[in-house]
Amino acid sequence: MNALETTGLGMRHRRTWALRDCSVAVPAGRVAALVGPNGAGKTTLLRLAVGLLTPTTGQVRIFGRPARESGERTAFVAQNKPLYTGFRVSEMLRFGRGLNPRWDDAAARRRLTELGIPLDRRIGRLSGGQRTQVALTVALAKRPDLLMLDEPLADLDPLARDDVARGLMGAVAETGLTVLLSSHVVSELEGVCDWLVVVNGGRVQVSGDIDELMARHSLLTGPAETADALAARLPVVSRSGAGRQATLLVRDDAPPPDPRWSARPVTLEEMVLAYLRTPDAAALPRPALSPAH
Amino acid sequence: MIEFRLDRGSGVATYLQLVQQVRHALRLGVLQPGDRLPTAKEVVARLAINPNTVLKAYRELEREGLVAGRPGLGTFVQRSLGQTSMDDRARLRAELVRWVRDGRQAGLTLEDLEALIASVLTDSFRQEIA
Amino acid sequence: MFWLTWRQHRVQILVTGGLLLALGVLMLVSALRATAYLAEYAPPGCPGPAVSCSAVNQVVYTDHYRPVFLVFGLLPIFGAALIGVFWGAPLLAAEFERGTNALAWTQAVPIRRWLTVKLGMLGALVAGAALALSAMVGAWRNIFSGVTGDVTMEPGNFTITGIVPAAWWLFAFAVGAAAGTVTRRTLAAMAVTVAVICLALPVVFSSRPSYAEPVRVVTADRSSVARGGGALVRESWVDPSGRELTAPPPPPCPLPAGVDTRSDRAQLLGEECLVGSGYRYAVYYHPVDRFWRFQLTETAILLTGALAFGALAVVRTLRHRG
Repeated sequence: MNALETTGLGMRHRRTWALRDCSVAVPAGRVAALVGPNGAGKTTLLRLAVGLLTPTTGQVRIFGRPARESGERTAFVAQNKPLYTGFRVSEMLRFGRGLNPRWDDAAARRRLTELGIPLDRRIGRLSGGQRTQVALTVALAKRPDLLMLDEPLADLDPLARDDVARGLMGAVAETGLTVLLSSHVVSELEGVCDWLVVVNGGRVQVSGDIDELMARHSLLTGPAETADALAARLPVVSRSGAGRQATLLVRDDAPPPDPRWSARPVTLEEMVLAYLRTPDAAALPRPALSPAH
Repeated sequence: MIEFRLDRGSGVATYLQLVQQVRHALRLGVLQPGDRLPTAKEVVARLAINPNTVLKAYRELEREGLVAGRPGLGTFVQRSLGQTSMDDRARLRAELVRWVRDGRQAGLTLEDLEALIASVLTDSFRQEIA
Repeated sequence: MFWLTWRQHRVQILVTGGLLLALGVLMLVSALRATAYLAEYAPPGCPGPAVSCSAVNQVVYTDHYRPVFLVFGLLPIFGAALIGVFWGAPLLAAEFERGTNALAWTQAVPIRRWLTVKLGMLGALVAGAALALSAMVGAWRNIFSGVTGDVTMEPGNFTITGIVPAAWWLFAFAVGAAAGTVTRRTLAAMAVTVAVICLALPVVFSSRPSYAEPVRVVTADRSSVARGGGALVRESWVDPSGRELTAPPPPPCPLPAGVDTRSDRAQLLGEECLVGSGYRYAVYYHPVDRFWRFQLTETAILLTGALAFGALAVVRTLRHRG
């Protein structure tokens, strides 16, 4: 069962396409990273998935149901962590309680107490990290099956970032909910996410299990004069190098056929960057996604 | 109990890092049969790591017969590692010493040797994983 | 949802309630003082239209009625504008502006219900406040009915009497809400709201006389018509043969020596002379008994407008909720 599935999803703002022909799936129970440069369509995809935007083409399915009928099963934390700044923290909880039948007030209070966030503090007076934690608490107390977060770790200091990531992972461990979070900082996702979706220029470039993707790619280093011959035999994602040495990032896990070449594993960041630099390359699941039914 | 670390950006899949750390602890005797591994929740609370990854690592260890999960209780160590005989180790070490001496005579520096070993190890284990 | 609506808009609700209370106290004090004055100084049978009452009528009118009337006489314009600006405009614009639309409309409660409760509850409060104000004004004005006669058809009074105030306020509220979905900025929505209301006020005011065909009375004493209350539409001269004239006829009698032709006295003498020569006034007006018919007509017009703007707000919010 896919928690999120889009088919042929497109969104046009006036004349430009913010997202085009996007077919992507996130299996239930995953913590998926939505990665891409700024303006690649990450926010648009999330806002379509949560029903805030109406797609120009295609459709979004949340556990098989249309996005706009899934308000009870999804939760969303937008990029600026919107909360009512004049409210007290306890009033934000009351807001959530009033608008969500599955609301878990005890868990929300426990979580905030553990984080040391006073319930009578006004939202406007919280620090950035605390504000993110309150937004996350409100989202989690809905007891969603799919939680979507737009750049949840951006503009947080390293300590707050670690706290938020641990809070999020703790919730996954406790409830097994599916998470889709967007980020343009790849390094902060390692260890956190197990599913990767790379969006670039409004299109999906990579989609799949992170461990599998990393095992299927390697970084080959060897003499530059033989690079062309090697590149002809292997699916090269990106190519770099200076002088006599060339480096190829290939979608292949066999050892290099040429003994003068050495292979080493890629990091998540290297792999993502390689794809982003080569917008034509793609690593999408084989076989093609099953259409929604 | 074992405390996991994470080397982000090492290029080694996170679950493999956990597997390797458990194996290492078994080899060193830090973990012994009967010991309980931390639950996914406990690991997550310390490491900001995906609980699915922890479970995946435990499944891998289970597949290797090193640990076993007992529903409702946790995951427990089944057997220890490091059973290779002292003779084998001594023999391998002697071979490596000879190899290093050859290398140095051929003019290789410490870094050259390290690079060579690392590349051979990587290639060798990558094939195994794949 | 009800708590949320109260929590998000309690400032407006409390301030509006406070203002109504202050106006109520003002009118209560004024009514008590006027009653006390009349009990002490009014001759028997006064206040009333009798000539003997004119002195006391004059005093009560200038000292007790007019000062208070000036305070709320501007309410038709300001009241509606305030409602539109502070109740209507921020309702949706503030959510868009602060990005809280992404919070409010991604909860389990569907956006349609959110809109229904917000528009319904706040709309009911707005209408209730307007009706409360109109009831207070009505009760206060009753004290002065002997002094002023029935003034409910006068433009200024008509707008703050009966059910029309509620229609105006609801209209302004809907305009504000719709403006918020267009500008998505509170301040800009407020400006647009004021502009639309400023445009609507003269349009409605000037079309009010045509809600019905005015009554035509041909009379020699046009003040007799005014005394009965009602709203004057226009008047013209009718010549002795019964033909209505478009321009005032030249007076047939010569002016007495020493009277300037442009003076008020010359005007008065000229009119007296015309009446004496068989000319009459044709007065077109809406009598007081049309009050409720006019109230219902204007209410229907404004509520139609309110519904149109409300529908615009809802449709735009549903379409562009992101």
